[in-house]
Amino acid sequence: MSDTAKEEKIIGQLRRILEESSTTEPDWDNFGRNSTIESLGLDSLTILDLLYDIEEEIGVHLEAKEVLNITTLGELVDLLIKNGA
Amino acid sequence: MTNETSQRTGSARHRVVVTGMGIASPLGVDEKTVWKNLIEGRTGIGPIRAIDTSALKVHNGAEVPEGLAEARLKSMGRRPSDRALDLAVVSAQDALLDSKLISQEQELVPQDVSVIYGTGVGSAESHYKSMQAMFEKGPQRARPTAVPRCMYNAISAGISLQFKLTGANYMVVSACTSATNAIGTAYRMVRDGYAQTVLTGGSDGFFDPFFYPVWNNIGVLSKIEDPIKACRPFAADREGTILGEGAGTLILETLESALSRGVPIRGEVLGYGESSDATHLTNPSSEGQAKAMRMALNEAGVSPQDIGHINAHGTATHGNDACESKSIRSVFGDAADDVPVVANKSYFGHTLGASGALECISAFLALEHGISPPNLNIENPDPECRIHMVGSKPVSIDSRPVMKNSFGFGGGNGVLVLGPSN
Repeated sequence: MSDTAKEEKIIGQLRRILEESSTTEPDWDNFGRNSTIESLGLDSLTILDLLYDIEEEIGVHLEAKEVLNITTLGELVDLLIKNGA
Repeated sequence: MTNETSQRTGSARHRVVVTGMGIASPLGVDEKTVWKNLIEGRTGIGPIRAIDTSALKVHNGAEVPEGLAEARLKSMGRRPSDRALDLAVVSAQDALLDSKLISQEQELVPQDVSVIYGTGVGSAESHYKSMQAMFEKGPQRARPTAVPRCMYNAISAGISLQFKLTGANYMVVSACTSATNAIGTAYRMVRDGYAQTVLTGGSDGFFDPFFYPVWNNIGVLSKIEDPIKACRPFAADREGTILGEGAGTLILETLESALSRGVPIRGEVLGYGESSDATHLTNPSSEGQAKAMRMALNEAGVSPQDIGHINAHGTATHGNDACESKSIRSVFGDAADDVPVVANKSYFGHTLGASGALECISAFLALEHGISPPNLNIENPDPECRIHMVGSKPVSIDSRPVMKNSFGFGGGNGVLVLGPSN
């Protein structure tokens, strides 16, 4: 799978996760690499749920401290690919 | 609004007025629709949609009409999270707008408003989902945010966070008495100067595959199939209660604060009484109930003859209605022959920890309009319940105070005396 296809697949998986679990209404029209973590309604607590769902759906375990400094969805995608997604 | 802490002396006594009300109920999620349904005698009880009840004995419940709360949450940028929290937030927004503490046009700013809220069951949906995940995947796969989502105070915390309210923030949990105890506690805080403004009320939402079946098995739900006829408070042919979901929120503040802000006053809390039966976990005691009623009357400085009508707990179970009518008779004596009694659970269902709030709002609306909603299904009043029930048509009421009763499993009793806006 090309890097672009891999990225698109992960972004699709993250979107499905967030559609299911988010407690806020993200801006789905502009959902993509440049979406900020804040605009997705994630904070230091709710991102724990995202990590839980990522492990369930994508099969990659990330520690909370690894995502502390992440500010965009693109950075999260890169981290997931780096960890074997 | 002032943020001065110098007022928190605990020594001043203030008149406590209601400046905002909000409701998310089986009769609707706006006050106007709720009142129209009440006065036109339309129940919110129907076949339950949220879960499959085909294997259960009872299939009726009072649910908030589909999509209404969800639409309101969306307008706030929220998605449904936990039913009790969601309904609480919807009703809290309306109460805050009504009291002009927030507006649709202005960005939210932190305000020194306390949140003292009631619930019977708490975050039932979060509990159920967390347990379900744990049983399916094992304890090591329990969702990390189950802890804060399942807290009882997830509700008051959620309101505080959503609207930036920086006063006290905690829950009162006492089964079906929760909201009335919460309102009573809030009333005392404002009256005694510990808070200038408190957002109070109650919320419960529990139509899940665990909680509702359990209630089926405790034997207090009406098995009458017709949802319109199922809940029959104080009727000779009553067969039990019907559960409901909902939330009601009231803004209590000092009279001085309301006048200085120039906001309309919707009513006044005049007195509060509370007691514990200390006799049985689920069977009520008329002595305990009467004690709370007398305390509330005494605190309000009124006699039974001064009460214009009673908004009863009125669960429509045989034992509860018999006990409550005996308690009313013991406190009111012969005056019980004339004081009209209305019971709202045939409309809202029994919303447990929210019921006191929904019924207080109903009582304040009755005072504002000078009309009591009719009682549903009271064609055959129980002669053993020696009280004067409002009939099946609305009746005019005067502006004298209302007594609002709430009694709960656990033996807790809460009684409020509510007055009009003058």
